[in-house]
Amino acid sequence: MYEEPYKWVEAVGNRRTYLDEQFKEGAPVVGVTCERGILLMTMSKGTPKLYEIYDRLALGGMGHPADLEKLRFNLLEMAHVEGFNRSASDVTGGRLVKYGMAPAIKQAFEEVFKAPFIVKILLAELGQKSGKDGFLTINYDGTFEEKSQYAVLAATSAVEQKMAGYLREQSLASLADAVGASIRTWAVGDRAQRRALDEGEGHDEAGTGPDQQATDSETLYAYLRRCIAEKTVECALLDRHVQGPSKYRALGVDELKTLLPNGLSPSLL
Amino acid sequence: MGMQSDFYQLLKEQGHVFGVPSQAPRGQELTTATTILAFKYRDGVLVAGDRRATAGNMVMYDRTDKVLEIDRHSVMAIAGVPATAYEMARILEHSFKYFRRTQLQELSFEGKLRALSKLLKDNVPAALAGTGAVVPIFVGYDFEQEAAKIYFYDILGAEFEGADYAVSGSGSPTIRGILHYVNTWGEQPLSAMPEEQATVQALRLLTSAAEFDSATGGVNREAGLYPVIKFITASGVRTMPDAQLKPLFETKVSRHV
Repeated sequence: MYEEPYKWVEAVGNRRTYLDEQFKEGAPVVGVTCERGILLMTMSKGTPKLYEIYDRLALGGMGHPADLEKLRFNLLEMAHVEGFNRSASDVTGGRLVKYGMAPAIKQAFEEVFKAPFIVKILLAELGQKSGKDGFLTINYDGTFEEKSQYAVLAATSAVEQKMAGYLREQSLASLADAVGASIRTWAVGDRAQRRALDEGEGHDEAGTGPDQQATDSETLYAYLRRCIAEKTVECALLDRHVQGPSKYRALGVDELKTLLPNGLSPSLL
Repeated sequence: MGMQSDFYQLLKEQGHVFGVPSQAPRGQELTTATTILAFKYRDGVLVAGDRRATAGNMVMYDRTDKVLEIDRHSVMAIAGVPATAYEMARILEHSFKYFRRTQLQELSFEGKLRALSKLLKDNVPAALAGTGAVVPIFVGYDFEQEAAKIYFYDILGAEFEGADYAVSGSGSPTIRGILHYVNTWGEQPLSAMPEEQATVQALRLLTSAAEFDSATGGVNREAGLYPVIKFITASGVRTMPDAQLKPLFETKVSRHV
């Protein structure tokens, strides 16, 4: 059936359409660097989406939880075996993604008789020195990008660009700045996704009003208050001030209460 | 199917071998390491070790670290063949991290003890061949029972809980008696001692071991070499810096030797 090249291309195209559909209702993920380290942020309904991978590596993901778990385990296995056989310094995000994860995701995507991975991954790496932090994002087809100051995952590249555009104008100096900017950026992305979803379902009146386009802080905070009532705020930090080799820590409710801006409270955490 | 949480098993599947017996050539002395101790003090457990590694009569190294931090709440102090002991420590360190990161929860204290027992059991052939004997002390904070605990082992992997203290290594017979005496008839039991007093006690014990055991290194003030002393409490593992050991040694220990 797919032995003819154009049919294979058509099948891959269909698969792309299918995968795009799967991410429409996914929660965006935001990663930013700040003085304290690297902050990852998202909101989820029960299943966590942020994970520790190695001493200075953390992962944020979108997609199917079972696929995300499978790839997370692959990453953990690669990182720990490499760290044991060589050294923690040899476990880098670049090596894990370029020579491990991305080829596996690409292969699954192009093998049209098998199921693809329904995932988008953001890998954050805390540098040995400030200014050396980095991010890698991998799309469901195995394409990856390297970024330095911040990185985002969202349903479409258009939404990701909108989030990046908003994030570019935010102050990211302190941890509180980073938490505030991340959660607002998340709101920008989630609102854009929801708008696209509503438009796709023919609810044009619900998505194209001026309020849906606004990115002023008050509008975003009002939106976030509604989201927080039904979702869990997840924040994890690769903390460069933590003693010892493992730098990952999840931010707990009490710490988030002091960091979240504008009276937002992580009530469901 | 099922998801792996056992890093040691993963290593084995990747071809890693541990505990293989091999015969040392006749006349070849293996490097070993020497006096380690742990006792409960007022706030948790103190673990200490001298710095000397020897091969027969030869002093191989005087800066050995025998009190190895395995994770934020546990340490393994080593006596025996350092090559095997360091390999065990690396496996344990990665195993605990791997468990935490895959299962999204800390490995229980009992699970940590079991992991070390398993390594020692797999190491029996090498230990009995005379090329890989390790007799460690494991100390960690047990969050289920809210207490820091001490366990010591034989070379076959049997684990024993040290109610008040544990010792291991060639210098241990000397200090075992002292610990019993101090704990039973001293002004106060070890478990009542505040941190500074416990530290002084540890320095005196290791100095006594070095006095009678050539394979235990004493304090070398000229080179600024002091024992490694760590504290395990609910808030984690902490190392006493040399800058704090130096004045304690000079005022509370050296005048007595």
